[in-house]
Amino acid sequence: MALSGRFRSSLVIGLQGIRARKMRTLLSMVSLFLGVLAVVVVQAGAELAAAAALADVELREGKDGTVQMFVPSEGAAGTIAMDTLKGRKDAVGVISTGAIIGEPGVTPINPHAAPFDGRGRGPDSDYYCDSSGYCFPGRDPKLAATSPGQAIELGLSGMTGDVRQFRPYRPVSGQWLDFDSAPSLSPRLVLNKEAAKGFGRYRVPAEMRIEGAPVNPTPRIIGVVDDGDEQPRAYVRADELLTWMPTTVANQRNGGLQVLLAPTATEIEQILKSRLVANGVAADHMESRVINSKEQIASQLALMRWVFLGMAGLVLLIGVAGILNVGLATVGERVEEFALRRAVGTPRSLLAGIVLAETLLTGLLTSAAAIGFGVLGLKVLGSVLAGRGPFPQQLDFPWQAGVAGVVAGLIAGLLGGLIPAIRAARVPIATVMRA
Amino acid sequence: MNTPLLQLTGITKTLKGQTAPRDILTGVDLAVHSGESVAILGRSGSGKSTLLSLIGLFDRPDGGEYLLGGRDITRLPERKAAALRSAEFGFVFQRFFLLKHLTAAQNVAMALVNGQGWLGGRRRRATVMAALEQVGIAHLAKHRPPRLSGGEQQRVAIARALVREPRILLADEPTGALDTETGQLVIEALRSATDRGCGLILVTHDRDHADRMGRVLQLVDGVLAPAGARVGA
Repeated sequence: MALSGRFRSSLVIGLQGIRARKMRTLLSMVSLFLGVLAVVVVQAGAELAAAAALADVELREGKDGTVQMFVPSEGAAGTIAMDTLKGRKDAVGVISTGAIIGEPGVTPINPHAAPFDGRGRGPDSDYYCDSSGYCFPGRDPKLAATSPGQAIELGLSGMTGDVRQFRPYRPVSGQWLDFDSAPSLSPRLVLNKEAAKGFGRYRVPAEMRIEGAPVNPTPRIIGVVDDGDEQPRAYVRADELLTWMPTTVANQRNGGLQVLLAPTATEIEQILKSRLVANGVAADHMESRVINSKEQIASQLALMRWVFLGMAGLVLLIGVAGILNVGLATVGERVEEFALRRAVGTPRSLLAGIVLAETLLTGLLTSAAAIGFGVLGLKVLGSVLAGRGPFPQQLDFPWQAGVAGVVAGLIAGLLGGLIPAIRAARVPIATVMRA
Repeated sequence: MNTPLLQLTGITKTLKGQTAPRDILTGVDLAVHSGESVAILGRSGSGKSTLLSLIGLFDRPDGGEYLLGGRDITRLPERKAAALRSAEFGFVFQRFFLLKHLTAAQNVAMALVNGQGWLGGRRRRATVMAALEQVGIAHLAKHRPPRLSGGEQQRVAIARALVREPRILLADEPTGALDTETGQLVIEALRSATDRGCGLILVTHDRDHADRMGRVLQLVDGVLAPAGARVGA
């Protein structure tokens, strides 16, 4: 005899029950809706917040597990470090400096590599900072001595190798730097999006003044990446940069060299430290740390998420009480039905399954309604707020919120249906004999 | 003679209500064979329904022995009792107990749900339609109970009792809510089940209906005796 399972029987009979008591089901859904919606909203909000907070942290800080080391600007430390890191795939040295591209002897459109849309420090700011990051009160005396002109100031990062293994910059257009070919006299630049915005907006001559370099090279822009930086920045091969300025100058102007190492590159880290110590650099002047920014932010966000989910859970409990109330009332009205089902051989467990199936299906239907409401709400919110303040351009409903909604609906259905299910299973069969 | 379908020996039952306990069955003996129909008469409160609920495994006797097909089922656990109810018994009650939100066919199909689940869709429909045809109301399969007359509703209930082809059919005042003519039709439908070897136990107040059964017994003072005979004689 081909028999389908108890599960299917419970679902089919549960659906029949729901269809027979549409108003009751609707009332249960109404009582549960706010709770499930609260869970969906909290989860969606947490996912969107996490996406916004974590999206660029790897670009700025580096992937978790990357070892970040700072080589001090003492003596020949920079030269030794560059020499040690040359040709290594598992470690990259980064020299940071500044550059102005455009007319010589003028105040750049964005002094101090400020963003182009009014944020940051302008020429009229009441403080100024040097390229090392030290800031001073008053107006920048350098700017006071020049007149405004067509030039763009940006940060410049010279790299000994492909840094994207540590900071996964997202390609926007063009190409990334090629570290395998011979260096070029004309430094190849990859701009970040903010720098590309400036070059797209203003027409500037192709002459690059690098801080500390005695001669101005003519750069070539070969690509654009998204590096998560709000300030304009360009990336260049370190050897192409050092064609135009000595390593010691680059090293001294910016307070040292930053080295990024793969978690497995412990040997090169030891070699580098040993060589630097052997050349007179104090061991305690070499800082190194393992990056775990993403994990830190994620744990903070997780804490917030659990706090809000806890509150949403309380709202859900009120919904559970509603479904329980309706469920108990319904079982009271269906005593004869359950007694009859038992009389014709339906086991207690299947009776409980039928009641549970009804409440679980009610929970699922409520989840579907809450998720639909959440998707629509996010669309409306997206059309109003997208691109403003912390809101990303595109607000897509996170699938995790959908899963949370379904789980919340199922849990509420289970909790709300458990006691009615037990009651249904305990209905005495004799009810049908005495009626 | 063959082994009886069911055999009760010295069955006792005491009802423990809010007042003092009452010995409702004091030593019932009964044997029903395949294809046999038995009517049980008795006054209200004489214990007819209690006896039927013990036979149908809704409840357990306090004493005595209950054999089904020679197998002792006096102290059967509930899970096994449910399986036996599903496989061996068909029930017809005074009130039809049809679910209003289900069609006649769905009400009949309800009896096909057991511990293993449900018959597959096509087979289930065929089985249900055969049962409805057996009681002459296949054309009403898609009707819901509120649209059916009392007699039609009771026939749906009989189809529900017969759909699993039970070995024993238990009917508790099945004509109590029907007019005389419809009652006759229902009794005829029940009797026809015995033609296929099913044992029938009918509890009734109606002597006319009882007389149409093969044997008529009377429950008096907690024991069964042939109708008209004096208890203890």
